[in-house]
Amino acid sequence: MLSVRDLTVSLGPATAPVDIVAGVSFELAKGEILGLVGESGCGKSMTSLAVMGLLPQPGPQIRAGRVLLEGSDVTQLQPWQRVEAGHGRMAMIFQEPMTSLNPVRRIGDQIAEAVRVHDRVSDAPATARARELLELVRMPDPAMQLSAYPHQLSGGQRQRIMIAIALACRPQVLIADEPTTALDVTIQVQVLGLLRELCNRLDMAMLFITHDMGVIAQLADRVSVMYAGRIVETADVAALFGRPRHHYTRGLMDCMPSRNFGARRLPTIAGQPPAPGTVGAGCVFASRCPAVREPCRTADPPRAEVSRGHEVLCAFPLDDGGPR
Amino acid sequence: MNGNAVLDINDLKVSFKVRRAGRKYQVRAVDGVSLSLAEGEVLGIVGESGCGKTTVGRSIVGLVRPDSGSISFKGRDVTGAGLRDMRLNIRMVFQDPYASLNPRRAIGDSVAEAGDINGFFTSRAGRSAAIAAALTAVGLDPSFAARYPYELSGGQRQRAGIARTILPSPSIVIADEPVSALDVSVQAQVLNLMMDLREQLGLSMLFISHDLGVIGRISNRVAVMYMGRIVEQAATRTVLDDPRHPYTRSLVAAIPKPDPSRRILGAIETGEPPSLFKRPSGCAYAPRCPLASDRCLVDVPELRSVDDRALACHNV
Ligand SMILES: Nc1ncnc2c1ncn2[C@@H]1O[C@H](COP(=O)(O)OP(=O)(O)O)[C@@H](O)[C@H]1O
Ligand SMILES: Nc1ncnc2c1ncn2[C@@H]1O[C@H](COP(=O)(O)OP(=O)(O)O)[C@@H](O)[C@H]1O
Ligand code: SF4
Ligand code: SF4
Ligand SMILES: [Mg+2]
Ligand SMILES: [Mg+2]
Repeated sequence: MLSVRDLTVSLGPATAPVDIVAGVSFELAKGEILGLVGESGCGKSMTSLAVMGLLPQPGPQIRAGRVLLEGSDVTQLQPWQRVEAGHGRMAMIFQEPMTSLNPVRRIGDQIAEAVRVHDRVSDAPATARARELLELVRMPDPAMQLSAYPHQLSGGQRQRIMIAIALACRPQVLIADEPTTALDVTIQVQVLGLLRELCNRLDMAMLFITHDMGVIAQLADRVSVMYAGRIVETADVAALFGRPRHHYTRGLMDCMPSRNFGARRLPTIAGQPPAPGTVGAGCVFASRCPAVREPCRTADPPRAEVSRGHEVLCAFPLDDGGPR
Repeated sequence: MNGNAVLDINDLKVSFKVRRAGRKYQVRAVDGVSLSLAEGEVLGIVGESGCGKTTVGRSIVGLVRPDSGSISFKGRDVTGAGLRDMRLNIRMVFQDPYASLNPRRAIGDSVAEAGDINGFFTSRAGRSAAIAAALTAVGLDPSFAARYPYELSGGQRQRAGIARTILPSPSIVIADEPVSALDVSVQAQVLNLMMDLREQLGLSMLFISHDLGVIGRISNRVAVMYMGRIVEQAATRTVLDDPRHPYTRSLVAAIPKPDPSRRILGAIETGEPPSLFKRPSGCAYAPRCPLASDRCLVDVPELRSVDDRALACHNV
């Protein structure tokens, strides 16, 4: 469905580029939910914006790599050209719906407009479809809400509206960049449940971005862990949590406050991620890795498939040789 | 009034005048909260955004004037007091260290501010030594005193914010979502730091957070707030392992567990969040509550002591 290969996004002049996304590859199958997890600044948003063709201009550029949607390279196309060329459809939702919603227009009009742009229909069918979309995202009292303004809705409801607008183009791929990060856990669980249900029902694939390992465990089918612009581990969600192989993945899991309440101190990962442009030779995690060895500091670690579908970017993966 | 309590809050009520759609409203953000904080204890306050956690904290340090109720520090009534020694004894740590660190001032000056205002320092050398000691205590090199906030990472800024809080040797720290803006790896570092400081400095702490995972880590006891009231209060393990109030149950159930074999999506009902503009007449939680009965729609449940906890519910 969606295949991203060696995607590199850089800042600065072509002669001295600073890579903020460095050779990212992943595959997304029909109906699948791929979780992309990592701490802030690791390049998750830049990856998703590059895939969508929405990188801020002027600014970061795609320096290398390909984004294949149903086999065709869309890297050079604008989003509207992708639809016209029949290259399949992608839509995106963000953390803060208020930045994408028009505060002075009614919800119904905003959804209907997205429908008209995509379906080229007149007002009446567009409004009917807007109502259908509100039902699809399980908005309470959809007929009433068509005439509401964004500020009259709760944060969770606004995110439902953004999902409805995204669904107006009947996407095959939905990219969700931290859509529940600003919500209370009680509302987050509803929005995550809705997204999962929609993926199943519409056979839609989703790239779900978060910094929260708990959310990943609840939602994703497969997971890619990102650090300093690179994907350092990819696996099925059960394999990743059951037997993490990258030292960073393990560290992220251990320092979650909701794990092992009994212990007095939380395990931590020493130091902080490197700023873009400051990574030298060798493994990007070497300065924080508890298992670092001499070769890690000089040679780039290999990307190896440690078991079927489980890839890790590390010269000395955790727990190598033998189950835990 | 509790025997060894350093802080006693009794029936605190706070409301705000707000304007909405051209009309003026009086909304009650805190609706009768009573709490007591024992010496050396960490009491967590948890609840969804807008439930009044920050307003409780700000009332204690005198940033908000309560409508009614009392706040006493070591048995002395300090309600609404701008008392100078209060400002040094009860100190607040904020979620966004930008709010407490002036971007145009060197870190050292921000850290020393409360001391400067209150004539705390007797000499320049004493001031520098106090800044260096506070920075060292939070794991920052004393050379950070000369740096500016923009030069620091999020975790370093929060450490500086904590240094600013502890410099006047307060007895009580009110920490309002102090790690909510931090990445997990940094969050763990700062939480460990706060636990160490509590022990070393003998602090008592009110730890406010929307995240039960974080609260569960650091608190001895937890108070769960809903629409300006405490609905359940007990030892941390009791709240997490055996929540009884329907709201607490829902909060605990909604924590995304880092275990793909225990998935909850689609399996729990949590309802729509409340609005202070439409406060229900009986139990505030009734519109979302699976156990709501007729009585819940008319009678406000009082917080009463049941077994090992305090609970405000008619039906559990
Ligand atoms: N518009 C921009 N111009 C230049 N650098 C940027 C821009 N946006 C983000 N960056 C940098 O790119 C890196 C990756 O950022 P981002 O993809 O937003 O991370 P994440 O979403 O994982 O938090 C960060 O170091 C960030 O500072
Ligand atoms: N200065 C203020 N003016 C008007 N309303 C306020 C003010 N401060 C807080 N509120 C309102 O009071 C309620 C409680 O807010 P707050 O104490 O910040 O909650 P929490 O910290 O639990 O998220 C919210 O509805 C908020 O909008
Ligand atoms: S390559 Fe070396 S430094 Fe990098 S994660 Fe693996 S063991 Fe650690
Ligand atoms: S008092 Fe009634 S409505 Fe309120 S929490 Fe208890 S059962 Fe639910
Ligand atoms: Mg981002
Ligand atoms: Mg708050």
